Amino acid sequence: MDLQVIDNATCTFCGCVCDDIKLHTDGARIHKAEKACVLGKAWFLNHTAEAQYPAAMVDGNEASLEAAIERAAELLHEADLPLVYGMSNTTCEAQKECVAMADRLGGIVDSHTSL
Amino acid sequence: MGGKVTCTLGEVKNRADLIIYWGGNPAECHPRHFTKYTLMQKSKFLPKGRKDRTMVLVDIRETKSVKASDIFLQVRPGKDFELITILRAMIKDQHISDAEIASTGLKREALEDLVKRMKSAKFGAMFFGMGLSMTRGKHMNSAALMTLASEMNAYTKFVAMPMRGHGNVTGADVIMRWQTGYPFGITYNRGYPRYNPGEFSTIDVLVRGDTDCVFVIGADPGATMPKPAIDHLAKVPTIVLDPHVTHTSKLAKVHITTAPAGIAASGTAYRMDEIPMPLKPAINSPYPTDEEVVRRIHEAVAAKPEWLIEQPQMLHSQV
Repeated sequence: MDLQVIDNATCTFCGCVCDDIKLHTDGARIHKAEKACVLGKAWFLNHTAEAQYPAAMVDGNEASLEAAIERAAELLHEADLPLVYGMSNTTCEAQKECVAMADRLGGIVDSHTSL
Repeated sequence: MGGKVTCTLGEVKNRADLIIYWGGNPAECHPRHFTKYTLMQKSKFLPKGRKDRTMVLVDIRETKSVKASDIFLQVRPGKDFELITILRAMIKDQHISDAEIASTGLKREALEDLVKRMKSAKFGAMFFGMGLSMTRGKHMNSAALMTLASEMNAYTKFVAMPMRGHGNVTGADVIMRWQTGYPFGITYNRGYPRYNPGEFSTIDVLVRGDTDCVFVIGADPGATMPKPAIDHLAKVPTIVLDPHVTHTSKLAKVHITTAPAGIAASGTAYRMDEIPMPLKPAINSPYPTDEEVVRRIHEAVAAKPEWLIEQPQMLHSQV
């Protein structure tokens, strides 16, 4: 893929959520993050499109995404009081799904805020 | 906004002539906070930028942020609540004994000077970090500082805002408030949301061993939580969604690799002043997004029998 420049990209490393970053990317790797701070640069340049990790793991063994989703649903459904925790390094759209799932499960939902 | 006396960072950038950072180290943890919002920007109301602003730093030790500040107040560790309470009293010209001031590790003159500056400022903005909200007193410290900000409005415009870490943690508060009416520490175990931090907050739930399955997304409690909490996390089945194999993934029954938000996954993230920002992904990840995986797990759970036989009734139908 050709080198592409993305203007006014958003950095989600810290709570400042700077939205004026200029990213130089080839679709597989970000080569340059203009205007980003030290933390933001490290955040953008350390992620690549390579498949570094297995798609999913169940009991420490590599597994397919479908099998992992099914196993996760079983474990959550069997539990008496499941806990949904975290939601910091993710999007609001995913957070919305998490709260809906906690509602369905009759579980607890909590974020980093309570630490 | 949960009753907070606050504003957006845009207002701070354009109007705030007194900036107080309390228990935080923005120079190292939020490096662009000074230059984008609080100190360096020039505006219609502050044409000379940095020269028109005063920055006060309150912390227990000298961090790199001291260099950026005009006034540094080194408070004795664990005495933040006392110091805030003293300031609240001094603002109302109430008597404070020398011993009470000495217990905070500061001098009367320094506090009198600060009170004078706060009252004569046109627009004061206080930013508090984990040095205030996560030390002795915890949320009571934050509540005291927000009360100080609200009481200062009898004299001049004043606001207080937390310095949020980790990307979209503000979004989590906003989404939970929107969906449940509460910001965090919520249980649905009676079929409707109830809120009680200390009872339903993660560390307490884990340390007491109340939960029997943990779903972790966008966090690594295995690296950050106290040991008794991690011990329980390792005992119960844990499911992790993360772009990397984390410490928590190693303790987990199920790990699913997802696309990193904002880099390979699109969506929305909230800035610390609760302004939503669209994300612009720059790379194509081979992994699915968090949103898609959570939705599919939710659908798989929904296909199973309902756990609550009788659904909670609406109040009007109970009469």
